[in-house]
Amino acid sequence: MRSERFQRLQAQLDAQDVDGLALLGSSAVAYATGAAEPAADGDRAAMFRAVSVVVKGDSAPHLYTPYLDGVPDDLPGDHLHGPLFPDLDDGIEHFAKAVSDQFGSGARIGIDHQTHPVLRALPGVDWVDAADVVSAAKLIKTPDEVACIRNAQLLNELAMVDARRILRPGVRQIDLSAAFLRRVFELGASANSIDPIWQVMAPTRELGPWTLHGDLAYPTVTTDRFLREGDIIWVDAGINWQGYASDYGRTWITGVDPAPNAKQQVQFRRWRSVVDAALDILEPGVSALQLGKAAIEANDGVRPWIDHFYLAHGIGTDSAEMPLIGTDLGEQFDERLVMQPGMVAVFEPVIWEDGASGYRSEDIVAVTDTGWVKLSGSSYEPYGLSA
Amino acid sequence: MSPVPRDRGVLVGTMGLEDDARVDFSRLRADRRGKVFSGMESHGLDALFLGGVGNVRYVSGARQLGRAGVLPFAPIAVVVQGTGRVHLLSTWDEGVPPEIGYEDLYRMNWNPANLAADLAEIPGVREARRVGTDGLTPRFAGLIGQLVTTAALVDAAPVMTAARRVKSPDEITCLDVASAIAEAALGALEDALAPGITERELLGIYNEKVAGLGAPNPPSESVCFATPSRGPVTFRHLASDRAVAEGDLVVLAPGALYAGYEAGLARTRIAGSSGPAGSAELAARCARGMDALITACRPGNTGADLYRAWENAGNPDPGVLLAHGLGLGAEPPLIGLGRGADAVLEEGMVLSVQSWVTQEGVGGCLERGSVHIQNSGASMLTRYGRP
Repeated sequence: MRSERFQRLQAQLDAQDVDGLALLGSSAVAYATGAAEPAADGDRAAMFRAVSVVVKGDSAPHLYTPYLDGVPDDLPGDHLHGPLFPDLDDGIEHFAKAVSDQFGSGARIGIDHQTHPVLRALPGVDWVDAADVVSAAKLIKTPDEVACIRNAQLLNELAMVDARRILRPGVRQIDLSAAFLRRVFELGASANSIDPIWQVMAPTRELGPWTLHGDLAYPTVTTDRFLREGDIIWVDAGINWQGYASDYGRTWITGVDPAPNAKQQVQFRRWRSVVDAALDILEPGVSALQLGKAAIEANDGVRPWIDHFYLAHGIGTDSAEMPLIGTDLGEQFDERLVMQPGMVAVFEPVIWEDGASGYRSEDIVAVTDTGWVKLSGSSYEPYGLSA
Repeated sequence: MSPVPRDRGVLVGTMGLEDDARVDFSRLRADRRGKVFSGMESHGLDALFLGGVGNVRYVSGARQLGRAGVLPFAPIAVVVQGTGRVHLLSTWDEGVPPEIGYEDLYRMNWNPANLAADLAEIPGVREARRVGTDGLTPRFAGLIGQLVTTAALVDAAPVMTAARRVKSPDEITCLDVASAIAEAALGALEDALAPGITERELLGIYNEKVAGLGAPNPPSESVCFATPSRGPVTFRHLASDRAVAEGDLVVLAPGALYAGYEAGLARTRIAGSSGPAGSAELAARCARGMDALITACRPGNTGADLYRAWENAGNPDPGVLLAHGLGLGAEPPLIGLGRGADAVLEEGMVLSVQSWVTQEGVGGCLERGSVHIQNSGASMLTRYGRP
């Protein structure tokens, strides 16, 4: 898997006429090197980041990391180096050397994040955005990558069984986080990627948080908020396994033995039929625009996703990556975004009925040569197993 | 206004109290903003575009979704000197403090050109001449120049690092609370530690504890590792599936975030009834190293004084940091790994200080604590027994 990914990066360096990459973002470094890092928040993750330098034509990436226990066994010894701290001027000459040792002057180097110390230390470099190379390489998953996503998703879903089991009035959002996180690490998660979300959805948009676009606010941050009888909760959690993200999305109802009422059952069936409308036409050659239109049509002409989101997003070493379907990148973008075997898409339409709240879940599929295969589970409790 | 409590202990809790004791968050935010605007004035900056998690939190005080890892730069908060306003990328108002109004919010976009267009509309941005950023990408640098402002893009660090370095009393209270949460997690880990448990299970227990206390987003998942009593001893960061063996020296190193502020500690404990021969001596050496480092944490001293104290205690280069700054996550300076000899310690700084010693045939011993540098010397935020 690591060597196939590296070949894809090399192919994109060739195709885009870039001499190499300096990667500073966690998911890009994970993609290029396979190196594991302990999950860390914000500025800690930045300060102690691993860095990768990829040279066009080389057989392996260079890795600069403080986390020696996360280095893949097959990384050649002469490509493994001690940590660089590109956020600091102190010692930035080591970063400059790591780059200048590999590239001649005037080289075109893709970089995904520029710190000011890096900009100061390497004034002569022709920097281009690494996102073009990395995003193109990541778009199509190998079978091994798909297997990693599926396993990450399985661990996520299994841990959610424990969290849902404790849900009843008087439980707090953070109690659900506690149950979920404990179980998911026991089960084998490599890392938690996002503070798990247990957002209580008000019955109307007006009763939810104020928003710039007038549409729903989602996702809001978990607190010690108590969950009350009948609260509709939109759950969203992402853990990763071997560097690959998962994405659990479901709607839960707070109660001792909750059962959706008639309106809620209709919402769930509508959600199912929207996803099915997209899946019915999903195969290589179909555009993102066609998928979006099929979903809108199945929802009687109303766009079934939140204004700031999408019908579907890709997933890989990032929790949301290309293909993005139905964003503000626009219809022309979606028309050119054509499904290919090996793409992975997380469908997360939202069914909203102002006054009766709504339903949201997420289905993950990988595009195959002839259609798609589902990577996420098919139970939607307490709404049922199928529509 | 309630009187300032003489017993500071009453401040160290996570719940709001009826008498408004504990952290006055509006005072905390106003104090931070004041430092930032004053720094902008003295450095001649008309605006700041900030993307770093700590910087965004510092200027906005917003409660935003916690994510593991580090992302490429994007402007999440914009500070404008001329208007005195702080603007925030948030599509909704939940988690946004009251001094940031609806008109100060700009929305989440997937299309960078749309984000750039939103930024251009922020009053005072277009006509800015010097804008400080805490990072860039080649793409954003281009978009800012074309669509947002022709201002010179310079380093925001002289403003932000200086503002963040010395902690206010409210910030110290937040760090005290974070310390106490981390100590609670250490207690849970100690209770669970026994031969047969895996590091992965300990990591699950850690997450369960801090989440249940209202801090579900840990600063780092590098919280425990068993050290080998045979062969070379290395510092590890990633939880393994291996069961802890009788007599293993096990490093327990939990941290916690409270209102974004990070503190943590580490202790090394024996799994089971007795450690290997030499473990008491190793623990004593670890404690001596820690004491030497803490004693060196005095205003006016430099990183070189910590290096010297460590060497004078008879220790070789530990291969890990001796200390780094703490605040809204990890902060400069880094002292150790060849860096930070010139870093000057100031009154009001907070450091994470650690002593890591190893002995082949025995194992490794880590002690870590959060240290508040005061005029009289080091004051420990960490309060947890050694034995």
